[in-house]
Amino acid sequence: MRRSLLQSFFVSFFLLQFSIVNAQEDLIPADSASFHSFLFLQEEIPNLSFRYFLPDTEDTASFSKQLGWSQTDSGLVSLPITDLAIAKVVEQNFIEMRVGYEVQYLVFSEVLSFGATREYVANLVNSSEFLVRTEEVTPSEDIVSLASYAHYTPLEKFKLRFISDFKLLIVTIIIVFFFVVALSMIAFMLVMKARKNRKEHLLKEYDRLIVDPLTSLLFEKELQEIFDLDQVSLNDYFPASMISKPIFREVLIERIIGLNKKMKGDFKEKLKALYRKLALDKQSIKSLTSRKWAQVAMGLVQINEMDLVEALPKVKAHTNSSNFHIRSLAVATVLNLSEKVDLAFLRDQTYPLSLWQQMNYLRIIRFVSHQKKLNLETLFQSSNPSIRIFGYRLVKTLGRVDLIEILSTLAENVSIVEKIEILEIYGALGAHMEVGFVNQCLSSENPTLILAAAKTAAVIGNTESIELLIELILLETNPRNKQVLMKSLHDLDSQRFEQLFVLDEDLEMTQIKNHILDPLLQHV
Amino acid sequence: MYNFLFFFILEIFGWIFLALSFSVIVIYLILMVLSALEMRDYLRKNRFADYGDIITSPIAPGVSILAPAYNEGANIVQNAQSLLSLHYGKFEVILINDGSKDDTLEKLIQFFELEKTNYNYIPEIETKLVRGIYRSRNMSYRRLTVIDKENGGKADALNTGINVANLEILACIDVDCILSSESISRMVRPFMEETNRKVIAVGGVIGIANNCDVQDGTVTTYRVPESELGRFQVIEYFRAFLMGRMAWSRVNGLMLISGAFGFFRKDLVRAVGGYFPKTVGEDMELIVRMRRYMEEQKIPYRVGFVPDPLCWTEVPESDEILSRQRNRWIRGTIETLQLHQALKLNPKYGLMGMISYPFWSVFEKSAPILETLGVLYTLILLMIGDFSAVYFFSLLVMMYLLSLLVSSFSVLYEQISFNNYKDKKDLRRLIWMIITEPFMIHPKIVLWGLQGHYDFIKGKGGWGSMIRTGFKKAEDKKNLSPQTSTP
Repeated sequence: MRRSLLQSFFVSFFLLQFSIVNAQEDLIPADSASFHSFLFLQEEIPNLSFRYFLPDTEDTASFSKQLGWSQTDSGLVSLPITDLAIAKVVEQNFIEMRVGYEVQYLVFSEVLSFGATREYVANLVNSSEFLVRTEEVTPSEDIVSLASYAHYTPLEKFKLRFISDFKLLIVTIIIVFFFVVALSMIAFMLVMKARKNRKEHLLKEYDRLIVDPLTSLLFEKELQEIFDLDQVSLNDYFPASMISKPIFREVLIERIIGLNKKMKGDFKEKLKALYRKLALDKQSIKSLTSRKWAQVAMGLVQINEMDLVEALPKVKAHTNSSNFHIRSLAVATVLNLSEKVDLAFLRDQTYPLSLWQQMNYLRIIRFVSHQKKLNLETLFQSSNPSIRIFGYRLVKTLGRVDLIEILSTLAENVSIVEKIEILEIYGALGAHMEVGFVNQCLSSENPTLILAAAKTAAVIGNTESIELLIELILLETNPRNKQVLMKSLHDLDSQRFEQLFVLDEDLEMTQIKNHILDPLLQHV
Repeated sequence: MYNFLFFFILEIFGWIFLALSFSVIVIYLILMVLSALEMRDYLRKNRFADYGDIITSPIAPGVSILAPAYNEGANIVQNAQSLLSLHYGKFEVILINDGSKDDTLEKLIQFFELEKTNYNYIPEIETKLVRGIYRSRNMSYRRLTVIDKENGGKADALNTGINVANLEILACIDVDCILSSESISRMVRPFMEETNRKVIAVGGVIGIANNCDVQDGTVTTYRVPESELGRFQVIEYFRAFLMGRMAWSRVNGLMLISGAFGFFRKDLVRAVGGYFPKTVGEDMELIVRMRRYMEEQKIPYRVGFVPDPLCWTEVPESDEILSRQRNRWIRGTIETLQLHQALKLNPKYGLMGMISYPFWSVFEKSAPILETLGVLYTLILLMIGDFSAVYFFSLLVMMYLLSLLVSSFSVLYEQISFNNYKDKKDLRRLIWMIITEPFMIHPKIVLWGLQGHYDFIKGKGGWGSMIRTGFKKAEDKKNLSPQTSTP
């Protein structure tokens, strides 16, 4: 479409140009008299001039001096006149003086006939080298006085080529832009690299300075002795001038935390005491108020590792932070340090809980569940679905059979995803008393829920479950789902499974059966 | 008249090239800034990540590693052993023998004591005929499944693996890749961190293993390759992974995850019909289709990227093999963009339609053509005497400096973030490569790209005319499969 439009545009443009040329040629008169007048009107035509011939008479003698006439055998011949306006004046004189004359057309100084001259002019017009003038231009007013009214505008608006050439200007702007940005980036990166190198050098240097005093403190002093150390004695190990340096403190904190992770018993206590003695705990707590999220996160890690229980109220304030990392670390710290974990702070979280967070919390909860009482059921009341699901997963992982009763009351009124989680708990904990719920789910309309229920039925199902499974198998059209259902039936009652499919000639059923019975595919 | 047209066209081309130069500079500077920010954030976040838990946590998702193998008899056993030794709790390794003509299958059967099973293969995604599925009675190899099938290409082999995979995440890799023992736990993290947006896929960095020391499945000493082509690819991979993909990842605009090392959500891959075996750019096509599916379903999603060096591969160091690879890449790009034309400048597809797709169309697909046109334009200007040395040299020097800047920054990123190439001699060689690459190697890459375009026009790759019209919807591939696959 667009192409054809373009084509027609060019064709019409070409035709228009052609018709303009023809119209110009038509303006040249065909008869000699009119052509002669036409030439006068043009005033000047390239390489065309007039020459006059006057036969020898008495009247013509006076012309010999005026126009540089030259004498020939039969009369006078004028010089070629290129300005046709002058030629017109000359001719008018001849007419007024009643002198007989003859006009000769000279083209490139060659005398041509009227026809040849006309053709020459026509060629000039056709090749657009000459534009035909159709009427005489007579200035109606004095040009000079007219010009005085017109404002002066230079022919080339911008004499400075640099500005007048748009492309050059744009290229220059691009180059300047490129260099400014590139140089800033290079400078930034070089500064970064230099800072990093300097910091790495300092870290190494400070680490070397820290190792010896830290080792001697840990191995030479008892816990009580560390508690009793005064500032002067501490300065013998770690000079005040060094402690005041942020990077030195950073290295010291990292060293102490690193050792705390690796060591056990008394050494851990010594490290924690030293941490407080060196006032590093204040720095950790202070970093919780930082505007940089990485700083806050680092503070949370330090508080968690060094058991800075006094910072818990401030840590709790971060448990619903909009920053994923701060939120995760704050919850982990509260779980770890709180004496009594009622999990209400977790229940009230509004942000969805990721698997990554669940994994970290699970590790801590597993660890603290032996020491503290955890009210897991609190999580079931959360308005945040991901928190409720996490609660169900905790029940399953921690093996909290005592909470099945509560789950049983909730199970029927929760979402499909939560029902699936509850079914998994029933399966994992062998909650045979909940088989009714499992069978209810097997009768559901939701295929995902049916498959989850079938997997649970494989563990805790009853005769009703068997019948439901058989019914579902016969109705199921999706081969993958059918395989899950048949596997459940096999796990629940292998005899019934064998009986049911012993004579089955359905190729699909036979393939699934062979798959289920293959010992190499037990876990596939 | 014709003079006018000629000069008019020349003028238009002049402005187009000027606009292109400007946009190249602006876009690459933006990419550099975005990648720097993303790298900074990633390194900060990594300080607070403990990967130790993932290995044993019951909450961590399971990973099915899919590795197609074709005539890999020489190294298949070592490669399989390396995959089986990865540090992760819940994973399976599915090796797909794609109709190898050598002894790949026999070696696997013999070494891993494999036996043919009664596996009920369900071709949810249509594939070539599966001849057998093997497993071992030896519990040490309980994670291993070997599929023997008729040859159908990499995409078809991966589709077979997808049909067999049992776990939630698919790790599609090249069997000859060297994976770090931590690779799964690192790559799984973005999936586990999702909250409001579903993470549909995660891409990783591919390192170049040529001339490096490898021990226990990990590159222990980095050295740049001996050949110029090898060193060029080191720079190119830095640019592509540490700069390009990091930047696109920041704005969630990633349209490509390397086929050698990519992780995908299985349910979604199955929902869109798996890999498209009729294209040579199956890795890019799958990501585009998955993203398109999510946009059409209006589900918030994200494509993640992990910049840690976790996977290494040997790159081609000869002109012949590299030209074939580049030819294939450009054809894959053209095919994918052609198949998903519906995305082009379509606001319905958000950033992918309005920015990623046009970027790929202009700066990746059309780059060889545009560069060649630029050279021709300059020659024409020279011939007609309308050549401006000021424009030409300004633009040329600027583009050269841009190339130096981008390449140097990508090396600098690597140095700041990972600092793997520690030998000063290696760094000097890389810097020399950065300086000479635009003149020595780049023209070859352009030429191979042009050949790719030519081969695409010729129809190399065996596309049917119907497929050229593109998918109307992301899941349309499923409807096409029965018509396009060979029986």
